[in-house]
Amino acid sequence: MTITQRTLGSTLLKVDNISLAFGGVKALTDISFEVKEHEILAIIGPNGAGKSSMLNVINGVYHPNNGSVTYKGVQRKQMRPHEAASQGIARTFQNIALFKGMSVLDNIMTGRTLKMKAGFLSQCLYFGRARDEEIEHRLKVEEIIDFLQIQSIRKTPVGRLPYGLQKRVELGRALAAEPELLLLDEPMAGMNIEEKEDMSRFVLDVNDEFGTTIVLIEHDMGVVMDLSDRVVVLDYGKKIGDGTPDEIRNNQEVIDAYLGVSH
Amino acid sequence: MFYREAGQFKTSYQSDQAVFPIFQDRVFIALWLLLAFVAVPLLANEYLFRAIFIPVIIMALAAIGLNLLVGYCGQVSLGTGAFMAVGAYAAYNFMIRADLNPLICFLLGGLSATCVGVLFGIPSLRIKGFYLAVATLALQFFTDWTFSRIDWFTNYTPSGSIAVQPVEVFGFAFDSPLKKYFLCLFVLVIFTVIAKNIVRGRIGRSWMATRDMDVAAEIIGIRPIYAKLSAFAVSSFYIGVAGALWAYIHLGSWEPLAFDINVSFSVLFMVIIGGLGSIVGGMLGAAFITLLPLLLNQLPVWLGFSMSTAMVSHLEFMIFGALIIFFLAVEPLGLARLWQLAKEKLRLWPFPH
Amino acid sequence: MGFFVEVLISGLMAGVLYSLVALGFVLIFKASGVFNFAQGAMVLFAALTFVRLLDILKDTFAPIMLSLLITIVAMVLLAMAVERMVLRPLVNQPGISLFMATLGIAYFLDGFGQTIWGSDIYTLDIGIPKESIFILESVFEGGVLVASEDLIATVVAGLLVVTLAIFFQKTRIGRALRAVADDHQAAQSIGIPLNYIWVIVWTVAGLVALVAGVIWGSKLGVQFSLSLIALKALPVLILGGFESVLGAVIGGLIIGAGEKLSEIYLGPYVGGGIEYWFAYMLALGFLMFRPQGLFGEVHIDRV
Repeated sequence: MTITQRTLGSTLLKVDNISLAFGGVKALTDISFEVKEHEILAIIGPNGAGKSSMLNVINGVYHPNNGSVTYKGVQRKQMRPHEAASQGIARTFQNIALFKGMSVLDNIMTGRTLKMKAGFLSQCLYFGRARDEEIEHRLKVEEIIDFLQIQSIRKTPVGRLPYGLQKRVELGRALAAEPELLLLDEPMAGMNIEEKEDMSRFVLDVNDEFGTTIVLIEHDMGVVMDLSDRVVVLDYGKKIGDGTPDEIRNNQEVIDAYLGVSH
Repeated sequence: MFYREAGQFKTSYQSDQAVFPIFQDRVFIALWLLLAFVAVPLLANEYLFRAIFIPVIIMALAAIGLNLLVGYCGQVSLGTGAFMAVGAYAAYNFMIRADLNPLICFLLGGLSATCVGVLFGIPSLRIKGFYLAVATLALQFFTDWTFSRIDWFTNYTPSGSIAVQPVEVFGFAFDSPLKKYFLCLFVLVIFTVIAKNIVRGRIGRSWMATRDMDVAAEIIGIRPIYAKLSAFAVSSFYIGVAGALWAYIHLGSWEPLAFDINVSFSVLFMVIIGGLGSIVGGMLGAAFITLLPLLLNQLPVWLGFSMSTAMVSHLEFMIFGALIIFFLAVEPLGLARLWQLAKEKLRLWPFPH
Repeated sequence: MGFFVEVLISGLMAGVLYSLVALGFVLIFKASGVFNFAQGAMVLFAALTFVRLLDILKDTFAPIMLSLLITIVAMVLLAMAVERMVLRPLVNQPGISLFMATLGIAYFLDGFGQTIWGSDIYTLDIGIPKESIFILESVFEGGVLVASEDLIATVVAGLLVVTLAIFFQKTRIGRALRAVADDHQAAQSIGIPLNYIWVIVWTVAGLVALVAGVIWGSKLGVQFSLSLIALKALPVLILGGFESVLGAVIGGLIIGAGEKLSEIYLGPYVGGGIEYWFAYMLALGFLMFRPQGLFGEVHIDRV
């Protein structure tokens, strides 16, 4: 797969000297990097390196002990989850965080929550603004369903779907928010080659068509090298590499810690 | 083969999102409404109204209210009795002191319950599951005590219990069981429609998202404080109105113990047995729980032997207990799911496959 | 001063009795992660069975021993029935469903017990001395008046706590119980027989219920309201922490003393009846600010 040259914008997200500790465990130590608009950045590293924790900090689930997150030019000591959401950050999770009791359609509709403004009274009567909104957003959600090719399962409760499809639905829910920054936590975990190809295509299409900036955590090196513009490497909570895929591939420290050499 | 969807295509999102998209469902609903509004009034006698229909309808309202909170939003509450008490006592005080139209007083009773409900709901922002149940239990006991000790609520009656006149609106008195039945029925139908509208919209989805995974819900922008407190608010409004109706229409006179923890448990059982997360379930559960004691009372007579009332109530306890366990283990989605399964069977009947 | 101490001590003694019931809860929660709302009903059932058997067997050669033995057997059978018909079918459901199932057990046991044994109030007399004695005469002028019953209850409860604590910490079964409470599936996958463990736990809880039932019953008579004790034990558990044996004891003491003291000293200002909700409001306060109680474990949800 080749990546066509894209024009990258200015810095969308910058994390500075982020440190995070749980009790005595240091999850992240003094991490700094930045992400430009329209870029695809991959975070890689061995298990327990702090990758998910990093995403959690960006998105406000964890509050760092030190450092700051600058998003769209606004510097914050910590983010709050719903603030992140209203600012255009969406994410998926390593261990799928879908609403198991609801259908695929409803799950993706929840992604539109922030865009729905109808008042309480209108909702009670399902009249006027509420009803129009439901239909308007249903249209958008159907576009996403078409994009992800999950039309046939739209009314199925997500708890019943196989893992690969659940991951797709979760991506759909994140996309429904029309985010500017999309955080993907191991979106291809547990998938076979075909499923990975499908997912990679979706990620690239999202970046291409909507210009969404993407930060993804991934273990499959082939995917990482092919998809990303830049790679950040974490190990034991510290950053040990930051550069283009080629630079990282040849970085000795990264090879020692994670990539290994082929004999 | 009667319940087939084949051939029923939807050409707009609006028709797809209708409450009863399948034609046969609409037939069922029409039949039920016909039954409720025409058949029952013509055929039922006074006893049936007083003992069965009116209590079932009022309790169905309470059960729907509690289901919104427990079934749709996943917040366990054992404070139902307290909300009903607030609705009843508030309605009483508005009637006595402000001399307003009784229907307005019922709604005001509901609103008072809403205020209390939001207070009850504050712990839900910090704790969940069964710890929340205990917190609501605490508030239930406190409310019990408040209504029995603070005489202002009962207008300083020496006995502590309240008796009321039949409800009169613009000179039209709801004094006969038939008129009371219609009043309750209208209220139930309107409130059911509203509930159904809420749960299929944005607010309902935010409740269900909070129930299923509140951390993820917060991350996509659903603020837990709005979701949880709105669930408590709407739910307690329903339960408060039900309480006012229960006191005025069904009981006529009551004391604080009429709304104690046993009521909370009853309504919770209705919700569990009827089906969590289902509007229809609330009604089925209410019918079931109200009818069971009556059936048990009649059973010995039908079977030809006698049983003391104490024995009957012990048996009731045993059967309730066993049924709760049965439904939780076998069919956690309750009677509502059994109804759905019956409809599924109708897809094929009378053919075997 | 003497009066204050008397109220305090009587409150503490009441607290000990709460702790006894709370202990049963802690056992089951520690070992199966289930909050057993039926514990109160178990106390009642055990006491009822015991007292009626005493009556039936009173002319045999060892009525107390025999009744005790048969009641213990009954509690074992109960534990087996609960495991078979409630815990096994519900093994994969969330905690709140199990809680509601124990609600069902409570209702069932209530009705069942009274169906078999009747619903009158029975007096329970197994020779526990009932007179009041003076203790601590050297510390306070004239001593403090306490009921010997309460004193014996305190001693028994203390012994029970120590036994249980040792059981959980030191024995192999105790370790297995703690593993099961933590993670059912993981425990099963290392070979711990889940069903067998649950029967043991519920039996032990049943025996604790029996002890509590005998002591309470001896004090109050065996009657329906004993099952309401479950409702009193909840605040104890919230204060002490659901997983802590020590917490059940300390929580019980605090609630017992707090109730009595607030009733006597604050009661007159609000028209009395504080006992009814004091425990719960205290629990509510803890729930808001320290939900794990004094000695419980903090649970962290990972996303």
